[in-house]
Amino acid sequence: MAKGYLDIEDDIAAIATAPGAGALAVVRAAGPGSVERAARAFSRPDALRALDGYRAAYGKIVDGDGRAVDEVVALVFRGPASYTGQDGVDIMCHGGRASTDGVLSALEAAGFRRALPGEFTFRAFYNGKMDLARAEAVGELVAARTAASRADALSRLSGGLSRELAAIKASLVRIAAAFALRLDYGEDEAPEDIASELPALREARDACLALADSYAVGRALLDGSVVALAGAVNAGKSSLFNRLLKDERAIVSSQPGTTRDYLEAELDLGGLPVRLVDTAGVRDSADPVELEGVRRSRLVAGGADAVVYVVDATAGLRPGDLAFVEADPAAIRAWNKVDAAGAAPAPAGWIPVSAATGDGEAALVAAVRGALLGGASADASALASGAPPISARIGTARHREALLRAAASLGDAAEAVEADEPVDMAAVDVAAALEALGEITGETTGEDVLESLFSNFCVGK
Amino acid sequence: MDYEVIVVGGGHAGIEAALAAARLGRKTLLITQNPDTIGRLSCNPAVGGLSKGNLVREVDALGGEMGLLIDATTIQYRLLNRSRGPAVQAPRAQADKSAYAAAARLAVERQPGLRVSMDTVTGLVASADGARALGVVTERGRRIGARAVVVASGTFMEGRIFIGEHRAPSGRLGEAAAVGLGAWLRAAGFPVGRMKTGTPARVKASSVDLGALEIQPGDEERRPFSFMNDEMPGPELPCRITYTNERTHAIIRANIARSPLYSGDIVGKGPRYCPSIEDKVVKFPDRDRHQIFVEPEGLYTDELYLNGLSSSMPEDVQEAFIRTMAGFEEAYVVRPGYAVEYDYVDPVDLYASLESKRMRGLFMAGQTNGTSGYEEAAAQGIVAGVNAALSVAGEPPLVLSRADAYIGVLIDDIVTLGAKEPYRMFTSRAERRLALRHDTADRRLTPIAMRVGLASKEREERFRRKVEGMDAVRELLRARRVSQADAARDAAFAPHVGEDLARALADPRIAELDVEAIEPGATAFPREWVEGVVLDLRYEGYVAKEERLSARLGKLDAARLPPDFDYAAVPGLSAESLEKLSAARPLSLGQASRIPGVRPSDVALLAVRLAAGARGGRP
Repeated sequence: MAKGYLDIEDDIAAIATAPGAGALAVVRAAGPGSVERAARAFSRPDALRALDGYRAAYGKIVDGDGRAVDEVVALVFRGPASYTGQDGVDIMCHGGRASTDGVLSALEAAGFRRALPGEFTFRAFYNGKMDLARAEAVGELVAARTAASRADALSRLSGGLSRELAAIKASLVRIAAAFALRLDYGEDEAPEDIASELPALREARDACLALADSYAVGRALLDGSVVALAGAVNAGKSSLFNRLLKDERAIVSSQPGTTRDYLEAELDLGGLPVRLVDTAGVRDSADPVELEGVRRSRLVAGGADAVVYVVDATAGLRPGDLAFVEADPAAIRAWNKVDAAGAAPAPAGWIPVSAATGDGEAALVAAVRGALLGGASADASALASGAPPISARIGTARHREALLRAAASLGDAAEAVEADEPVDMAAVDVAAALEALGEITGETTGEDVLESLFSNFCVGK
Repeated sequence: MDYEVIVVGGGHAGIEAALAAARLGRKTLLITQNPDTIGRLSCNPAVGGLSKGNLVREVDALGGEMGLLIDATTIQYRLLNRSRGPAVQAPRAQADKSAYAAAARLAVERQPGLRVSMDTVTGLVASADGARALGVVTERGRRIGARAVVVASGTFMEGRIFIGEHRAPSGRLGEAAAVGLGAWLRAAGFPVGRMKTGTPARVKASSVDLGALEIQPGDEERRPFSFMNDEMPGPELPCRITYTNERTHAIIRANIARSPLYSGDIVGKGPRYCPSIEDKVVKFPDRDRHQIFVEPEGLYTDELYLNGLSSSMPEDVQEAFIRTMAGFEEAYVVRPGYAVEYDYVDPVDLYASLESKRMRGLFMAGQTNGTSGYEEAAAQGIVAGVNAALSVAGEPPLVLSRADAYIGVLIDDIVTLGAKEPYRMFTSRAERRLALRHDTADRRLTPIAMRVGLASKEREERFRRKVEGMDAVRELLRARRVSQADAARDAAFAPHVGEDLARALADPRIAELDVEAIEPGATAFPREWVEGVVLDLRYEGYVAKEERLSARLGKLDAARLPPDFDYAAVPGLSAESLEKLSAARPLSLGQASRIPGVRPSDVALLAVRLAAGARGGRP
């Protein structure tokens, strides 16, 4: 049985507000360990831990690498006086997908599982926070939504993906059978050393990791990505925005600071759906409206899948520019206005472009696509040429998380075998890996493992 | 009522069922076709083995007989898998077959409140509506009334033996099948099917060149199966090892058409884990040899058991291929190997109490339920006997969970998934195997035996001493700090200076050391207790990991479902789940979640319903 509603001790999280560009959004977290887990993703963990129910703390959500994702207000609930009856945290963050996704990812990094549809409500009922009439509605919702999400999940599994998953699962079942052989038969009947399974364990772990890595590609294809244009005031971001968009959406002006808030537009970037965001220029300003715009731009850039940092070639590199690219080495560096008189040659690592003439646009687009596809440029060109994708990709964070867990467990198993831990201990890790994979492929039962054992090994007196 | 409990069959399930019911104060009758055959070991002359040894110890911890019987009649003892971890270690003992059966018979005969009667049960007496068992009808036309009946018919119910072209209505070679009960159950609508198992030839030891065979000695140190025994005396007879070869396989291949397995005469499903030699040769053609264990059948017989050579080929073929093996050139076959096919009742028809869903007061155990193995039979026997007794007393049944015991795993598996081939216990079937070590059986189950009333005063007293002793050992290890001096003596201690020893024992390098040398206070306690505590500490982390992995198991198994739960009244339940649940009538959410075809979301819906019921809402 895959992770489900009845895992009521799991700490879960989900975006609780409707999708869209509201000013504020709420990411809801619940579960017995939710406050502690949320504290681990919070810039002021002790402040959060110390809170009584219905008390809030201000701070930043930080991701697994310790980088700030968003400034938030976290409201703590203490069970049973809460919606679900369990401890919980409502995190109020900035609206828009970049921000909410960032907060949710940071919570996942802290160990939260994404909530299933209706799961908070399910817990509310389970813990007696709701009467039966309402609960029956919830029940129907759970049943209906699960059916829908199952259909959805199935449709996500492309032929290539299900083939790759099936291959990983088959090798895992065979490994589990090799372990079961040593659990179920004595040394005199099944004498081989379990260390002979080490290469298979490592191979399966690597296959899980490789498939998990394809998440970036899969997500970029399925959900689209956010690409932010950043740079100093008047570096020509809006001109570049319009060049990429091929219309006059942004207000282009030679007065610094014209783009006070940020603009965004959807476009097709060589086959990838992309939401391009033009941020306000980065500079010190006293204008409060513009200050707010700059602040939000920085936030957007922080939550973007790729950032194009634009520099005016006629102005050259300024300390602010250097500081930005140093802080975000993954940023794509655009050396703009190369057509203008007095333009300096592009330094190494900078892509020469001209928003005015379109020179260098192809190279810039290729760089952005490369960044979004996680370096899978061969695939990207195949995509652009309309050829079918070469390898399978996963498209959901849930899949990625399950694959990473499977890989981690397989790594633990290999480590235990290497450390000469007994085979029954390492077998626990193999079982954990199978269960994690089962969340994508469907459960593997003990019978499946025994079936593999009996067909692959000659056993029995 | 003539009796309170009637047990049909005197095999390993019947023995435990009859003894448990009688020990719980129920007036009990054991009906067997022949009292001389009570407790016979029909197949291999051994008890225990991986996961089966755990079952024996669990049966013992519950107050059963099997551990005592094997302790008294052992002719060789081995702790299997010393080189592997503690969860896959288990004791196995070779038994003196005739002594074992004699000990079993005597235990049954001496049990107060238990009578033995020689007869063959041909049908049940049921209430007019068929919903309640009221007794049995026998071959000689007797109607014997009882408030509960336990059927433990083994391979005898409509048993049929195959040796090459030979067929005979037998449950064991030379013993008549029990004809009638299978037909009665079929007619009454029970899901009766056929299963098959087999046994190898027995050869005359003095016709074999034993000197040419590799010896497999037993352990010097014997640890009794029974918690009630401090030692396990008895003689030591070696087992030996030989191998089949290409000539053996060639003979089998040349005669394969004469095997009833391949001629299509046997319809029953046989066990994959215990294949006949013809199966092994056909399925694994690349193997140039198969290992054969040569085991003595007892002290007062010259017969040897050829473990791994189960066959139903014609006798001349069996003798021919046996004689191809090194040392067996002149071997003389005393009894041929054979296959036996018999009736079983699909155990999905039972609750986890082993009571029939269609007939109250009727319990089934052992091979009747499609399992195989002496230990599996005994495990079900004791549960069926206890529950027959409890049902007579109007008390709720004893149901062991998958987290409690291998017995819980076994019964949950068969009543939830049914038996499509003879079911054997396997370590890998138990999710919580690290916690279900054979040496923890008493700690897990004796408190249950005490509650039910199966633990003797002496057992209770011994148990209390052991629990207190192990607590004291644990305290001792907690109080002992790892010092700089320890680190100077052994570098393994270096990372643990300042820690208590109990904690440091999680490090395999420390756990390998002699604990009694580090903390001499431990020598005041029996070695087994100290070892138990060290194992607990050493693998605590893994046990916790295992527990997390199956945490849901415990919670869902704890959520009880009434047998008459109205699934049709649950809105939103899928049609498939509704059908499966209504048919299976699981006793817990956990069991419901394991029924093939029942969706997780539907289990969630049931949970909502149960929670509502518990709070006084509509159930």
